[in-house]
Amino acid sequence: MPGMNSGLSPDDPTVVAAFRSALLHQGAIALIVLVFLMMIWATARTWRTAPAARPEADEAGARAGESRGRWLLRTGFGTIWILDGILQAQPKMATGLPTLVIQPTAASSLSWVQHLVNWGGTVWSYHPIQAGTASVWIQVGIGAWLITAARGRWSRLAGLSSVGWGLIVWIFGESFGGIFAPGLSWLTGAPGAVLLYVVAGALIALPEGSWRSPRLGRLLLAGLGLFFIGMAVLQAWPGRGFWQGTTHGQPGTLTAMVQSMASTHQPHFLSALLTQFGSFAAGNGFAVNLTVVIVLAALGAAFLTGRPRLVRYAMWFGVVFCLAVWVLVQDLGFLGGVGTDPNSMIPTILLFAAGYLALTPAPQQVPQTEEVQAETGTPAAAAAPGWSQRLRPRALGSALATASARSVAAFAAVAVIVLGAAPMASATVNRTADPILALAISGDSETLDIPAVAFQLTDQNGKAVTQASLRGKVVLLTFLDPVCTTDCPIIAQELKQAGTLLGAQDKDVMLVAVVANPTYRSTVFTQAFDRQEGLAAVPNWLYLTGSTSQLAALWRQYGVTVENLPAGAMSAHNDLVLVIDRSGEIRQELNADPGPATASTKSSFAVLLTQYARQALGGS
Amino acid sequence: MTASRAWARLALLGCASLGCASLLAGCGTQAAKVAATAPPPVTAPLSTSLVTAQGTWAIAVMGGPAASENNFWQLFVRPAAASKWSLVTPAGVADNGGLVATGAGSSLLVGFRPSQDLAFSPLAASADTGRNWSTGLLDADLANVPDAIAATPAGPELALLQDGSIERAPTASAAAAGLWSRLTTLSALAASAAGSRCGLAGVHAVSFGQNEAPVAAGSCVRRGVAGVFTEVGGTWRSAGLALPAAFGRDQVQVLGLAGTAAGSTVLMAAGHSLLAAWPDGARWSVSDPVAAGTVRASGFGTGGSAWLLLGGGRAETVAGPGRSWQALPAVPAGTATLAPGPGGSYEALAVAGSKLTVWRLGQGAWAAVQVIKVPIQYGSSS
Repeated sequence: MPGMNSGLSPDDPTVVAAFRSALLHQGAIALIVLVFLMMIWATARTWRTAPAARPEADEAGARAGESRGRWLLRTGFGTIWILDGILQAQPKMATGLPTLVIQPTAASSLSWVQHLVNWGGTVWSYHPIQAGTASVWIQVGIGAWLITAARGRWSRLAGLSSVGWGLIVWIFGESFGGIFAPGLSWLTGAPGAVLLYVVAGALIALPEGSWRSPRLGRLLLAGLGLFFIGMAVLQAWPGRGFWQGTTHGQPGTLTAMVQSMASTHQPHFLSALLTQFGSFAAGNGFAVNLTVVIVLAALGAAFLTGRPRLVRYAMWFGVVFCLAVWVLVQDLGFLGGVGTDPNSMIPTILLFAAGYLALTPAPQQVPQTEEVQAETGTPAAAAAPGWSQRLRPRALGSALATASARSVAAFAAVAVIVLGAAPMASATVNRTADPILALAISGDSETLDIPAVAFQLTDQNGKAVTQASLRGKVVLLTFLDPVCTTDCPIIAQELKQAGTLLGAQDKDVMLVAVVANPTYRSTVFTQAFDRQEGLAAVPNWLYLTGSTSQLAALWRQYGVTVENLPAGAMSAHNDLVLVIDRSGEIRQELNADPGPATASTKSSFAVLLTQYARQALGGS
Repeated sequence: MTASRAWARLALLGCASLGCASLLAGCGTQAAKVAATAPPPVTAPLSTSLVTAQGTWAIAVMGGPAASENNFWQLFVRPAAASKWSLVTPAGVADNGGLVATGAGSSLLVGFRPSQDLAFSPLAASADTGRNWSTGLLDADLANVPDAIAATPAGPELALLQDGSIERAPTASAAAAGLWSRLTTLSALAASAAGSRCGLAGVHAVSFGQNEAPVAAGSCVRRGVAGVFTEVGGTWRSAGLALPAAFGRDQVQVLGLAGTAAGSTVLMAAGHSLLAAWPDGARWSVSDPVAAGTVRASGFGTGGSAWLLLGGGRAETVAGPGRSWQALPAVPAGTATLAPGPGGSYEALAVAGSKLTVWRLGQGAWAAVQVIKVPIQYGSSS
C-alpha cells in the first residue's frame, strides 16, 4: 500500500502541534457558531414571547412519545460517536492513523480491498491535519446530533448521517471490518464495530411508526440471532486455529490475540488480567472456544425465537458475556496503541437491548398524532404549510422563536459536522499534499536577504549560464549529483512538480540545479539525469556544471559540502534549495533532505517550494 | 405462530447463517500455492575475478544486507608482480546494484549497475591499477551478470542490458561520451536462424571473439543445445559449440564468457553438470562435467583456465583445454570469490562485514596472507 504511509513518525512534533492548533481553532469556531445560534434563538424568543411556551411542551412530548428502544440506540450510539470523536483527537492520529490503524487492518485483506483502502489512506496521508480534524468534528457532530434530535425528520436524518459516515469508516478505516481477511472472529470485533453503528443508524432513520409495533423488535432480534449463529459457526470452523490454545509451542489464534492486546500500553491491572486470561486460553483453548461457540449459538437461538421472556434472560446473559469479552479479549477496544473506538461489544449490547425494548413496548407508549411536528415547531393541528411559506422571513422567525433548545443544539451539531466535512471534501479532491509534511521534515526554512553568488557555468546543452543571466526570474536553486541513487532524483522531481503547480507563473521561475559530484560532472551525466527524470523537455530547467574548480568554488560559497566517499558509497553532499528573487537576492534557504520520500512528502515539498516561489514572485 | 413453524423458521435461518459463515470463512482463506516442480535455474552472481595485463582484479560484495542498502560492492586489485591486494573501488557512485568489470587491453573497464532511483549505468576505466579513473556512461540498465560488459584493446565495447539487448560503442571514447548504439535485442537474436534453432530464452554474457567479433551467449529452450552466437557482418550465427551426446536431454545455460585470442572460453550449466568449453579452430573442446551446485562465484584466469566457487565450500578449477576439473580444498568460511594467485595457485577472498581476508592455497591448505579493513559507509545509500 504505497501511498498510505507518509513516512513521518506519529509523534512528529510539527504535525502534532499543527493538529492541536487546528483542533483548537475549529473548536473555537464551533463554539462561536453555537453561541451565535443561541443568541439568535434567545433574541427571537424575546421578540415573540407568545409561542415561547411550546418548546418545553414539545420536549416533554418527545420524551414521552419516543420508543425506549429507539431512545437507547440514539443516545447510546450518539455517546459512542462522541467518544470516537474524542479518541480521534489523540495527538498521534494525524499521521498515525494510516500506518498504525488502517494499514495493519488492510494488510491481510484481498488485493482489491487493499487497493480501495489505499486510496483512502493516501488521501489521509496527503492531508493529515484536515483529515484528522475532520474525523473529530464529524464524529462529535453526529454524536451530538443523535443525542439532541429526539424526534422527527431531524432525528431520522441524524440516523442517516450515522449510516453514511459509518460506512466510510467501515470501508476505509476498518477495511470492511476485516471480512475479506483471514482470522475473522466475533471475539475481536467482526464484522467491524462501525458496521453496528451503521445498523443502528439505519434503525434510527426508520419511520417512527415502525417502533410502535413489536414487529421491528422481532426482526431486529432475528437478525441478531442469525448473526450470532453465523459467528458461532465461524468460531467453530475447523482449521482456523481457535480450538487450540497453543500449536507446536506457538500460541493459538485466540491466545495470540489476547497476548497481543496484553502487551500494549495500558493500566497494569488490565494487562495483568489479560495476561492471566491469555495463559488460561493457552492451557484451555478447546474449552474456551467451546464456551464461546455454545454461548453464541444459544444467544442466537434465543433471539430467533422472539419470545420476550426467553429474550430477556438471553439479553441479560448476553450483556454479561459481551462485557467479559470486551474486557478480556478486546481490552476495552481503545486501550493501547491508537484506539479509535470501544470496539464491538458495547454496540452489540445496545443493539440487542434495543431489540428487546422494541419487542416489549412500554404500556404508556401509544401512538401520538402530534409527534412528527415536534421537531419542526409547526403546530400539529395546523395544515402543513408549503416550502415557500415556510421560507418567508416571518415564518422563519416564528419557527426560530418556537424551536426547542434541542432543535437549536441539533442545528449546531449539524454545523459542527459541516465544519469537519468541508475541509475533508476539499482534501479529497486536492491531489497535492499539505506542506506541513515538508515543514516537519525540513524544519523551518531560513529567511535571508543576501545577494546570490555570481557564477559562470554550462547548462546541460553546453550553453553558458551566469547568475546575471538569471536576473528577472525567480530561481529555485539546488545542488544535485547526476549519478545519485537516492535524494537527488527525488529533489529533482519535487522541483519539477513545483514547476507544474506554478502553472502560468512557471515562465517567471527557473528551476536550476548545480552538479554536486566532483567526478561524474560532465554534461554527459547531466543529460542522462535529465532523461532519467523526464526533465529534458522542461523549458525552465537548467542543470549546470563546470570544471572541478568552478564547481568547488560555488559549493564553498553556498556552504555545500561535496565529498567522494570511499568503498562504493555515493558522493556525499548536503541537500538544500535556495529561493532567489528576480533581483538576485536570496530570500529563503530550505533544507531539502527529502526524508522518507513517500508520495505524500514529495508532493508536500513541491507545494512548499511553490509557495516560496510565489512569495518571491510577489515580493520582488 | 405455531411452535412447528417457529422451529422451521429457526432451522431455515440456522442454515442461512451456516452458509454465510462458510462464505466468510472461505473469504479469508488464501489459495494454496502449487509448488513449482522445475529446479531453479543456475545463476551466476556478480562476485568474480579476472586477470589483465595490469594485475588480478576481484569483485565481492561487503557490508550489510541488501534490503537496507548496506551492501557495497568492492573492487580489489593485486597488481602484476605484487603479492598484496588493494581496495580500488572507483569513487563517486553508489554501487549497491553491483559492479561488473572487463579487461580492455591495458586498462580495466568497470560498470555500475543501477540501484534505487538511478536508472542508468555509469562507467569507470583505469589504466593504472585503479589509482585514477576516467568516467563513462551507458544510458541503460546493465544486466545483472558478471560478463555484462566486454571490451577490446582497440576500443569497441559491448554492454548487455537487463532486458537482453546488447549495446555497442565503437571506441572507448565513444563509450565515455555515452555514445552507444543498439547491436541487437533479445527478440531479434532469438528470431535469427541461430537463435531460433536453440530457442533462445535469455542472454547472460557478452564477449569478443576472434577478429573482435561480438559474441553473445545465453540459455536455450531446446535441450542439448548451447546458445553461443557470434556476429559477423551484421548476422548472428551459431558459434558451433556442440555438446557431447550425453547432454542431449539437458537444458544448457551459459554462465560466463571470457574473450581470448583464440575465441571465447565458455562456462555453462547443463542439467546437473557444469562444463567449460574452449574454441579449437573450427571445433570446440568441452571439459568433463563437474557436479553442479549453487554457484557462488565464477571466473576465468589466463590460458583458458576457469574456476567455480560452489555451495558447501566446494571450489573447482580447470587449467585449460584438455584438462580435467580439480577440486580445491574446502574454502575458508565467508569466501566470496576466488582469484588466480601467484605461481599458479589460487587465492580465496573471504568477507566478514567490512573485513576482507585473503587466503592463499599452498601445500594443500589455505593460509591467511592479508586482511583489509574496508571503510564501508553504512547508511550512506538509505
